Amino acid sequence: MISVLLQKRLKSASGDMQLDVVFEIQKGQLVTLYGKSGAGKTTIFRILAGLLNPDQGKIIVNDIFWLDTEKKINVPPQKRKIGFVFQEYALFPNMTVLENLNFALGKNKDDGFVKELVEIVDLGDLQFRKPDTLSGGQKQRVALARALVQKPEILMLDEPLSALDFEIRNKLQQYILQVHREFNLTTILISHDISEIIKMSDYLIELDHGKIIKQGLPTKVLTHNKVSGKFQLHGEILAMVNQDFIFIITVLIGKEIIKVVADADESKKLNIGDKVIIASKAFNPIIYKID
Amino acid sequence: MNIIQGKIVSVNVNGELSLVKLKAGEIKLTTIVIDTPQTSSYLRPNHSVKVIFKENEVIIANAINCSISLQNKFYGEIISIESDKLLSKLVIKTSVGNITSIITTNAVNQLDLQLGKMVTAMIKTNELMLSE
Repeated sequence: MISVLLQKRLKSASGDMQLDVVFEIQKGQLVTLYGKSGAGKTTIFRILAGLLNPDQGKIIVNDIFWLDTEKKINVPPQKRKIGFVFQEYALFPNMTVLENLNFALGKNKDDGFVKELVEIVDLGDLQFRKPDTLSGGQKQRVALARALVQKPEILMLDEPLSALDFEIRNKLQQYILQVHREFNLTTILISHDISEIIKMSDYLIELDHGKIIKQGLPTKVLTHNKVSGKFQLHGEILAMVNQDFIFIITVLIGKEIIKVVADADESKKLNIGDKVIIASKAFNPIIYKID
Repeated sequence: MNIIQGKIVSVNVNGELSLVKLKAGEIKLTTIVIDTPQTSSYLRPNHSVKVIFKENEVIIANAINCSISLQNKFYGEIISIESDKLLSKLVIKTSVGNITSIITTNAVNQLDLQLGKMVTAMIKTNELMLSE
């Protein structure tokens, strides 16, 4: 289990902000930090990694203190067992895929594990290639494998997939879930993508202005009113057309486009680009098998 | 969306389904949901809930006491009618508040629906959603 208690005064573009969070993460969970830019998500990552010191705080990872400002304990970054994946791949361009992984492993260590990782994230055919000959999705697979070579206790993913298109993102989500389960990792993800959050996370922590405003099961945190309708989809409004007393609202859900009819008065509160929940009773939709 | 306040009277569970009987004022309502008191803590007698249904699911009948399978019936006066080419929007003043119905303009003409007329607004059991 990971226990985190952090306080830090931060200067941001919109003035000072007090980061003040307390949370626990169970071993083996995949937890997502969610919130607007500037809410403090990446700052929490930097503090967990030891790259930034809080004014006050404690970080306890599986009963070991990584940080305790009162007792002046502060384990240096290289001794904290953390794997990092960012949106930028940060691979060494002069090294092949395999060399990048071996370099991260360090000298005189067992490269059997590197071979295992290469298998799991399907890098076998690419292992002797240099990063600049790889696609974005392939580079991110290398970055994921590299984050794991040191067998981290925590895998931290800072919007790792936001630069990738939908298909590739979908595949990488599968790879991440696979390594997360296979190595029984404790994983913390920063994501803005609602479908990604619901698909991947066991637990969601929503931050605003440095404070936790909501936490719990992702579907509960993201569903603002508990409607009994079992047919609930999260999407974004693409278009709205007024006709008679109704609006025909076009909503993007994942990569599918659907249309929903809503009362005209209600639709006045909606705008193109709004994030919405589409709810219906499970009795209404019909289901077809695709041949 | 029509939203009215109701109070749960009874919850009859079978497997994953619950048949929920409610009261909104003096009016009895029934809905069926894929939830049980275990999955949704608010599904208990005496709990207040919001009953939600869409305008286009509201059926309008001229008759007052029609014998029909629909379980959810609201009697009231038409206080507003707006008609367009295909669709019309009616507001019916009932004892639990105003209920909006969107039906075809053809139906409005066939039933000769006019301001001040008393009608019954009805909703099928599986169209009512509940919310805390």
